[in-house]
Amino acid sequence: MKPASPLLMLLPALVLVPLAVLLPPLVHGGGWELIGSFVLAAVTPSLDPVVLASLLKGLGVTAGMALLGWAGSLVLGLVLGAASSRTVWRTLTGSGVPAELIRCLLALPRAIHELIWGLLLLQLVGLQPAVAVLAIALPFGALVARVLSDLLDALPTANLEALRAAGAPAPAALLTALGPALLPGVLSYGGYRLECALRSATLLGVFGLGGLGTDLKLTLQSLEFHELWSGLWLLLAVMLALEAVISLLRRRWLVPGRFVLARRGVGERSREMLLTLAALLPLCVLVGRGLGVDPAALLHWQPLPGLGGGSWVATFALPWPRLVGGTLLLTGLAASLAVGLAPLLLLVVAPVGWARQGLRLLWALGRLWPPPLTALLLLFVLEPGVITAALALGFHNLGVLGRLLLESADSTDPAAEEALACGGSGPRLALLYGRFSGLARPYLAYGAYRADVILRESVVVGLVGATGLGSQLLESLSSFAWDQLLALVAVYALLTLVGEDLSDRARRRWLAAA
Amino acid sequence: MAAGPPTAVLALRGIRVDGRGRPRLEDVDLSLAPGERVALLGASGAGKSSLIAVANGLLAPAAGTVLWEGQAPARSRRGRRRQQARIGTLWQDLRLIEELTVQQNLNAARLARWGWPRALLNLLLPLDTDDCAAALRAMDLDPALLEQPVTALSGGQRQRVAMARLLRQEPTLLLADEPLASLDPRLAAELLALLLAQAVAPRALLLSLHRPDLLDGFDRAVGLKDGRVLFDGPAARVNAALLADLYGGTPPGVSA
Repeated sequence: MKPASPLLMLLPALVLVPLAVLLPPLVHGGGWELIGSFVLAAVTPSLDPVVLASLLKGLGVTAGMALLGWAGSLVLGLVLGAASSRTVWRTLTGSGVPAELIRCLLALPRAIHELIWGLLLLQLVGLQPAVAVLAIALPFGALVARVLSDLLDALPTANLEALRAAGAPAPAALLTALGPALLPGVLSYGGYRLECALRSATLLGVFGLGGLGTDLKLTLQSLEFHELWSGLWLLLAVMLALEAVISLLRRRWLVPGRFVLARRGVGERSREMLLTLAALLPLCVLVGRGLGVDPAALLHWQPLPGLGGGSWVATFALPWPRLVGGTLLLTGLAASLAVGLAPLLLLVVAPVGWARQGLRLLWALGRLWPPPLTALLLLFVLEPGVITAALALGFHNLGVLGRLLLESADSTDPAAEEALACGGSGPRLALLYGRFSGLARPYLAYGAYRADVILRESVVVGLVGATGLGSQLLESLSSFAWDQLLALVAVYALLTLVGEDLSDRARRRWLAAA
Repeated sequence: MAAGPPTAVLALRGIRVDGRGRPRLEDVDLSLAPGERVALLGASGAGKSSLIAVANGLLAPAAGTVLWEGQAPARSRRGRRRQQARIGTLWQDLRLIEELTVQQNLNAARLARWGWPRALLNLLLPLDTDDCAAALRAMDLDPALLEQPVTALSGGQRQRVAMARLLRQEPTLLLADEPLASLDPRLAAELLALLLAQAVAPRALLLSLHRPDLLDGFDRAVGLKDGRVLFDGPAARVNAALLADLYGGTPPGVSA
């Protein structure tokens, strides 16, 4: 009894069953009117020029931080990616061992979420624009480096060897043989990272690092829902415009999508790609000036409180099994919700054409809405805890997964679905059998990757309380318990690395069986 | 039951389908009586595929009426699905679901009549094994293939599985758009014989062909040229002059 692929895709949605049992007792009478007025405010955002001007300024700061952090991560990623590539080291020195070493070292910055980086840096150097930029650039750079070195080492080396045999110096041979082949993959991934950077910059703002996120959180806390929605709609417009531009460029340059089902042609117009990249440089300088980013200020560290000997006992005394268990439960719930709900909702709305557009909008809001704000909103009606946090995190990732699923469903061959509908199947069953069959494995493989991202992200809903490592980490941070903090970050990183390994294995299995 | 001629399985009147520049179909009338086996002839671009698409409801004509078993296309979604369930199409690219087993593919033809529980269960357990095995045997296939994924089949086996799926749907109208186009002559003759054998009253068959040498076994032939019906008569009356007119030169397959 082995479930067939379309059924596999729906299995994660079974998480709704325990949730349906566990959720009702969590509802407290509290703030249904608040939720109601929040929802109503969506159609009546504040149009006060003063409010709008302030929100626009915040949006500019957020977008600027995202751009600079992203650009920094690309530079870091390119350098570190080359430095952790076996092919590069073998060509330069004859041995691939240093690459493995650097790869291991890069696992650490990658495993730590940008929020933790941001809060740590905030403690070290104080509040300034450069903090958010660096907080994004560090983990993103390590992620880009990993993807880049994987791409590099997967390229065939015949051209490279031919150039070397003809006497070309190693750096020139590497650039000529591997550069052009690498460009489409790097651009595709880079585009996706820019979307992530915008979301991260908003999130960092929620935690006080400036920009629109800060405004959003303040308006939510002071229940100014009309102003909150003005900010949300603005952010939505920017995010959708960015996504549209990136997907336009992807199509124009024929670079592969994020969710590759069939590789089409390789990149075209490489000159145009390089020019676009080059144009980003002066833009970044301008934005940096506008925001007042001062890299030198990052060097002035504030003195840290010493690591007291006795407090290690308190660190060991933390309820570690419960913290780790809570984090894993939160991740599992949020991942199942996100992975399972996207196909389920698509099936539910299948017979109604316009409902797909509604889903698209809902998912866009999910992507843009930082999970800690969703969590705060949910607290109006729900008790704090793992489930509330999982709903917030799940909603955000549903936005990401849903968009990918819809895009890839739209880009696959409709023949089988059409044939079923022509034979009288209902639209839902035709979609399930005809379209989901082929999508299931790549979708679940992507879901496995996403689960790993969710584990890393679980810290951002820590402020809902009692959600495992994340909430403990935020608590230790605010009480300056540095030794606890170090231990928590280390455990978090370890967990993330194990998760990354598991999700890699799952992904390879799904794709190999396809 | 009222006396008189039996209701046509398919009746098309004055069908027009617009294309770029000129209509793809213009003023087409076509009627299929139960048990009738009709071959649709014509050069590529003559409108055969459009006609098949109108007949199976995929394409709504710009003008004219379509009647399935005497009924106009139903307005309600449920009624329309019930109509579609009685129309079976053999697609040129077969449209098997590659990720599923042979049995799951055969059962996919029952989705129109099944509710959600069985549709989901079919993805988990082998359902209706006896009926599926019978459908395979009718196509000269070994029932042991039922558990195989369709990707494991040979080209000829895939053709037969697609036809077995068609039978499993139990349609009254069988449609096939150039099903023999990419097959070698022996396989094409075998498959055609199997298809013709299934087209017994109350079922009717409409099959588009571009090889007039395969007309044995058909009751009627309809020739399309530039979107219009050029002739419609007994298959035995198709001769070289008609074909020359239809193909505007030497017809394919008669040179030998």
